[in-house]
Amino acid sequence: MKQLLAVALGVLTAIGGFLDIGDLVTSSVVGSRFGMALVWVIVLGVIGICVFAQMSGRVAAISGRATFEIIRERLGARMAVANLGASFLINLLTLTAEVGGVALALQLASSIEPTLWVPVAAFAVWLVIWRVKFSIMENVTGLLGLSLIVFAVAVFLLHPDWASLTGQAMSPSVPATETGATYWYYAIALFGSAMTPYEVFFFSSGGVEEKWTKKDLGQSRVNVLVGFPLGGILSIAIAACATIVLLPQGIQVTSLSQVALPVSEAGGKLAVAFVIVGMVAATFGATLETTLSSGYTIAQFFGWSWGKFRRPIKAARFHLVMILCLLFAIGVLATGADPVMITEYSVVFSAIALPLTYLPILLVANDKQYMGDEVNGRATNAVALAFLVIIVVASLAAIPLMIITGAGA
Amino acid sequence: MTANDEDDISLAPPDSYAGQVLDAQLHLLDRQVLDTDGVPVTTVDDLEITDIPIDEPLRGTPAPTIINILTGATLGTRIFGGRPPSSRLTRIPYRDIKDIGVVVTLGVDAEVLDASWPERWVRDHIIAHIPGGHHDPE
Repeated sequence: MKQLLAVALGVLTAIGGFLDIGDLVTSSVVGSRFGMALVWVIVLGVIGICVFAQMSGRVAAISGRATFEIIRERLGARMAVANLGASFLINLLTLTAEVGGVALALQLASSIEPTLWVPVAAFAVWLVIWRVKFSIMENVTGLLGLSLIVFAVAVFLLHPDWASLTGQAMSPSVPATETGATYWYYAIALFGSAMTPYEVFFFSSGGVEEKWTKKDLGQSRVNVLVGFPLGGILSIAIAACATIVLLPQGIQVTSLSQVALPVSEAGGKLAVAFVIVGMVAATFGATLETTLSSGYTIAQFFGWSWGKFRRPIKAARFHLVMILCLLFAIGVLATGADPVMITEYSVVFSAIALPLTYLPILLVANDKQYMGDEVNGRATNAVALAFLVIIVVASLAAIPLMIITGAGA
Repeated sequence: MTANDEDDISLAPPDSYAGQVLDAQLHLLDRQVLDTDGVPVTTVDDLEITDIPIDEPLRGTPAPTIINILTGATLGTRIFGGRPPSSRLTRIPYRDIKDIGVVVTLGVDAEVLDASWPERWVRDHIIAHIPGGHHDPE
């Protein structure tokens, strides 16, 4: 019974923790512009993140090593420093977007300017990282994030034309108002938002934090293989909500209030309350994860002491890096930069950086010295290689498409 | 290069191979270094080996041995080129190593090593002054 509860808790937090500001914004933008025509990308992205998150969890459990330590060992200092530079900067961009997302979500609840919320949100994030245990942090934000299920409920309450919705999803076509280039640009953005690299850093380092061993592999596999697809369904629900309400009225998504608009139309104030709680939890949780990831990547590259399982004074430089990153995010957002814009850029840049993270994991998951008998099976390798091709293509196509479309304008 | 010179390139092999044979590039460089309590100290940024005498034929000269693990400034020069002066190298004596596996484990406490002074500096001057940092997370 206790074991069943643990499994259920793990799956629920995986669902609630799946979405972040990137998914919220990108799914909604895509729904409002392309209808359901890009839903296949969400499905693809979820399969990809399942394959690689499961793999990095296995590497962490078997070898006890987190991703970035291994990246450096395998690629050497020179390649790894280039990888670190790119991964760290993109993670910092994502972190800034997430902090802005918390502020926007709190603005929905309070109508206080997001710029005023930013320092409060960042301080709260720091306090949790400084003082709260890893497992509690994960469970609380994950469970509260489940409130976003209200998006799925809203789809039913809106009584959509199901035939047309599934038709758009099953036989996708570029809407007359958009060009092929913007369609593919947003396909890459959506793919980047589903497969964000920080999730892998975080997942593998989290495995080390929670001292996973071979015994915990089953649990982690269930979390990923059940939790992530269900989280992906929420992402699709957000796109569906935008398709039903925003697309026909030509409403542009420029803030989280448009993301929440379909829900308020479907379920009124109560539903909006759920959305706000869910959005705050999801963005707050993702801010924690990206902030920790920034510390993890740097500390693991240089071989410093890291981890929330240690007291802060036992991992001083790790904590200093995270404090500096949060201060950076506050600084950027204080200039009045639009968090939704930052989010849209961060997901595309994530897509560009995907090969940097996913290739080394695939290499190590096949390395007997680290993995012993637990190296990848043939089926996993075949799927992973297929994804690697997609990832590389998306990464190469992202910048040209960004230039051609004027960043999706 | 004459055939004779080529002969000179080969150094005398070590007297015996005691235990495990390691490839410095593959098994040492860029590996995580842990102290005796399993606390991460640094990464193996470079290795310092004994010098080969200059202007003497190589034949018969004993093979160089690793004397120190290097860290700190040497990482920058390894990546971007150049060579820091010997006084700027941060060294961990090779004899402090207890075990070499997927990670390099030292037999000493990180606190006594020069290599961990930046960690101590950040801890003593910044992190230790923030309330709550001395406790386990709850």
